[in-house]
Amino acid sequence: MIKFCKRCLYSNTHPLGLTFDHEGICSGCRIHEEKDKLDWAERWEKLKAIIKPYRNKDGKNYDCIVPVTGGQDSYYIVYLAKVLLGLNPLLVTYNKYFNTPLGINNLANLKIRFNCDLLYQNVNPLSVKKITRTTLRKLGSIYWPILAGHTVFPVQTAVRFKIPLIIWGAHQGIEQVGMFSHLHEVEMTRRYRKDHDLMGYEADDLLSVFDTLKEEDIWQYRYPMDCELNSLGVRGIYLSNFVRWDPKKQHEEMIADFGYRTAKFERTFDTYDYVDCFNYMDLHDQLKLYKHGFSKVTDHATREIRHQRLSREKGLNLVKKYEQKNLKYSKLFMKWLGVNERSLQFILDQHRNPKFWTQTEFGQWKFNGWSAQNNFSNINSSQHSCITFEVNDKLESNKDVNYITIGKGWSY
Amino acid sequence: MLKKRIIGVVTVKAGWAVQSFGYYSYLPLGKPEILVENLDRWNADEILIQVIDRSENHLGPDFQLIERLGKLGLETPLIYSGGIRSEEDGVRLIQLGADRVVVDALLFDNINKVRDLSEHIGAQAVIASLPLSWKGDELKYLNYRSRESVSISDRVIELIKSRCISEVLISDWEHEGMPNGFEIKLIEKFPLKDTPLIAFGGISNPSQMRALLDLNDISAVAIGNFLNYHEHAIQKYKEALIDLPLRFTSYESIFN
Amino acid sequence: MNSYSIGIVDYGLGNHASVIHSLKDIGVKALSTDKISDLNAVDILMLPGVGAFPPAMNSLHNRGLVDYIREQANLKRPIIGICLGMQLLAESSFEHKHTTGLGLIPGSIQAFSNLGNHIGWNTLKFLNMESTYSNSKNNDEAFYFNHSFFYQGPSEYQVATTQHSIVFPSIIKNGNVVGLQFHPEKSQLAGKIFLKNLITDMMNA
Repeated sequence: MIKFCKRCLYSNTHPLGLTFDHEGICSGCRIHEEKDKLDWAERWEKLKAIIKPYRNKDGKNYDCIVPVTGGQDSYYIVYLAKVLLGLNPLLVTYNKYFNTPLGINNLANLKIRFNCDLLYQNVNPLSVKKITRTTLRKLGSIYWPILAGHTVFPVQTAVRFKIPLIIWGAHQGIEQVGMFSHLHEVEMTRRYRKDHDLMGYEADDLLSVFDTLKEEDIWQYRYPMDCELNSLGVRGIYLSNFVRWDPKKQHEEMIADFGYRTAKFERTFDTYDYVDCFNYMDLHDQLKLYKHGFSKVTDHATREIRHQRLSREKGLNLVKKYEQKNLKYSKLFMKWLGVNERSLQFILDQHRNPKFWTQTEFGQWKFNGWSAQNNFSNINSSQHSCITFEVNDKLESNKDVNYITIGKGWSY
Repeated sequence: MLKKRIIGVVTVKAGWAVQSFGYYSYLPLGKPEILVENLDRWNADEILIQVIDRSENHLGPDFQLIERLGKLGLETPLIYSGGIRSEEDGVRLIQLGADRVVVDALLFDNINKVRDLSEHIGAQAVIASLPLSWKGDELKYLNYRSRESVSISDRVIELIKSRCISEVLISDWEHEGMPNGFEIKLIEKFPLKDTPLIAFGGISNPSQMRALLDLNDISAVAIGNFLNYHEHAIQKYKEALIDLPLRFTSYESIFN
Repeated sequence: MNSYSIGIVDYGLGNHASVIHSLKDIGVKALSTDKISDLNAVDILMLPGVGAFPPAMNSLHNRGLVDYIREQANLKRPIIGICLGMQLLAESSFEHKHTTGLGLIPGSIQAFSNLGNHIGWNTLKFLNMESTYSNSKNNDEAFYFNHSFFYQGPSEYQVATTQHSIVFPSIIKNGNVVGLQFHPEKSQLAGKIFLKNLITDMMNA
C-alpha cells in the first residue's frame, strides 16, 4: 500500500527505499533536519582533519580526485576542494555522449576558472550503444553506461594514478531518502553503486544475464578488485557530510562568482542541475515517471520543501504543472541509437509500472502516479513566496541542438 | 584451534534492508540480496539475515527471500532469523539455503517446537535469540512484540541447558545502532556459564570487540548498521584485531 | 584444470547452489541429481549433507541410493562426502539412535561430550605432510565446521585432524572415498583451493 510523507512529496515506493517514523515523517525529511541541527563549523574542522594526511608533500602527485561533469554540483565541489581546502585535485570526467553545448562550455570554463588538470574518459560508441540498447530494453534505462562510467572511472583512476582520495559532493541516498545520518560519515562503497546507481547490475552481471553483450563491451565498467583498492587505501568521501548541502544556494554562488551557466527545462522548474545532458531531464525523466510514478520535478520540489522555500501545496502544484510535459529531444536520441519512434515507444510502454499506469485504449494511458494519489489536506500550508531559478543560457547555447563530442571540435 | 567469529548482520523490514536503531527507528539501505552478497565478498565469518516483521504480522518465515539468497551460491555460511513457527519452517529454510536458523518469538509461543526443530536439523543449526537489557541491577528479557521486558524464564534456561540450541544471540536492543553502545553486563551477568554466546547491538569499534572476544563464553560478535558506512568494513575490523583468535582477513583478488 | 564433472547426490536434504557455485569457479562441471544414469556419467560422486544421520540414511534408502553408492565404492569410483555426507560414509552413528551407515570407511559417529557443538572456522592438521591436498603445507588455513557429532575410527583412515574439545578426524579416506567434516563450499577461497587440489589428486590417483 502506497503511503506518503506528511511533510514532503515522497512515498514509500521510492526506488532508494524510504521509511517513516511514528509521526508519519519520512527518513529523508528527518535526516534533512540535521542540516539545521549540526554544528557545521565543527564538521568542517573534521573534514580538514580527514584530508590532512592526503595532502601531497612533494608536489609530485595530485592530492585527490574530483569527479566532475558540466552540470550538477561540480563547480561547488571543485570550489570547496581547491579554493577552500587548498587541495590539488585531478578532475576526471566520463563522456556521457548526450552532451549539450552548454555542458561542454561549463566544463571548459570549470577547468579554466579553477586552473585544474582534467582527465577524460571516452568509451567507444559501439559498446556504449550496445549496452544502452540492452539496458533500455531489459531495464528501461538509457543511463546505465553513464552511471557506471561516472562512478567507476574515478575509482579506476585512483588505482592507476595512485591517488587514494576521491572527493564526491552529495550522497544521493542521504539527500533524497535519508539513508544515513550525516554523522555516520558514510563513504563510497561498491555495494551502494551496485544497488542504487546500477539498478542491481554490475558490468559482469550484464554479461551473465543478457546474452547480447560481450566482455569487450563491458570490461571498462568493471570495479577494481578489492586487493587493489585495499593496497592503495582508496577512499571516497562525501562533502555533504561536512558541509550544509543546499544545491540551489550553492549553484547561485557559482553562477555569480565563477560563471556557471544555466538553462530552462520543460519538465522541471530547477534550471541548475543536469544542464549538461539532453536526455536526463527528457527521455530519462520520462522513463522515471513510467517506472516509478514520479519524476525529477518531484525530487526538486521535495528538496525545496525541505529547505522551506516551497510549501507542500505549491510543490505539488509545480509537480503537476511540469511532470507530463512532452519530450523535446527524443528524435536526437533515436538518431543516435538507431531506433525508430514506434520501436522506442513500444519499449518505453513495456516499462510502465502497472501500479501507476493503466492502458485505457490502444496508445492511451491513464496516469495514477504519486502526484495523482497524493491527497493531503492543506490545513497548515504556509504561504511561501514563489521560488525563482536563474536562467542565463540555453542547453544548445549558441550552437545547434546536437550531442557534442569533446575533442572533435564539431558535433556529429 | 577454533576461531572466534565476526558475523555480518542484514536487517530486513517490509522487504527492504534497513538500519535499525533501538528496535524503534529505521533508515532504508537497499535490496537484501545485494547487502548479503557484499558481506560474502567481504568474507564475513557468517552472515545473519534477520527479518524483523514476520512474527508480529503472523507471517511465517520469508521463504521467497531465502530462496533468492540460496540461488546466489554464497560461499559464506548463512543464518536466517524471522518468523519461524515450527519444525517444518526450519527444515524448509535449510532446504532453501540457510545453514543455521534463529528462533525468537517461538521461545515465547511454543518452546517445545524448538526441541523438535533441533532434533530434525541438529542443535548446531539452531540459535536462540534473547534481546536483553540491563535495568537497575537486573537482566531483563524483551518480548519484542508486546514490548514487555521480563526475567528470563526457567523454561528458556532449561532449553539452553539441554543443549538443543547451540548458541545464544544476545541483542542489546536498546543500544542498537549506537556507537560504542553495547552493554557488556548483558554478557557478564548472563545466568548460564559455558554457553556459547553471540553479542549484538551497538558494537562499533575494535576495543569493544576486543573486550567481548576476550570473554570465554563469547564465540562471536555480530555487527549490523556499522558495516554500512565504509568499504571493507569487516576486513578493517579484523586488521585492528589481528592478535585475537579470528580468521585472518582477505581481499578479493585476481587469484580468486 | 581439465573439465572434470561432479555429480552431487540429491537425496532431498539441503541446498546445493553454494557447492555448485564453488565447483564452477574452479572449472568443474557440477549437477545435482538423484538419477542413477546421471550419476554414472560423472567423474566424481559428491555426497553432501545437513541435518541428522537417521533421517539422512532414510532418505538415501527411499531413493534406492544406498546400494548404488556401496556398489560405486566397490568399483573404486571417486566419492567425496561433506559434513553429514562424510559421517554417512562410516559404519554407524549414535545420533538419536544407533543407525547403520554406508560402511565405506570403518569407524563410527559419536557425540561430542557434554553435548557440545563444533561451530565456526578451524584449522586442519595433516597427519602425513606429503598429502598432495594439504594446501601447500599451510596449516593455518581455516575451514567452516558446523556439527555436533564426529567420526571415530582406526588411524589408518585418518588424513587430517582438528582440535576442538578433543582432537577429532576432519578428513578421512579409504581408497577413493574421502570424507570432509568441514564445508569447503562455505569456506570461501580456502575451500575452493582445497577442492581444486583434492579433485586433481583424486582424478590422478
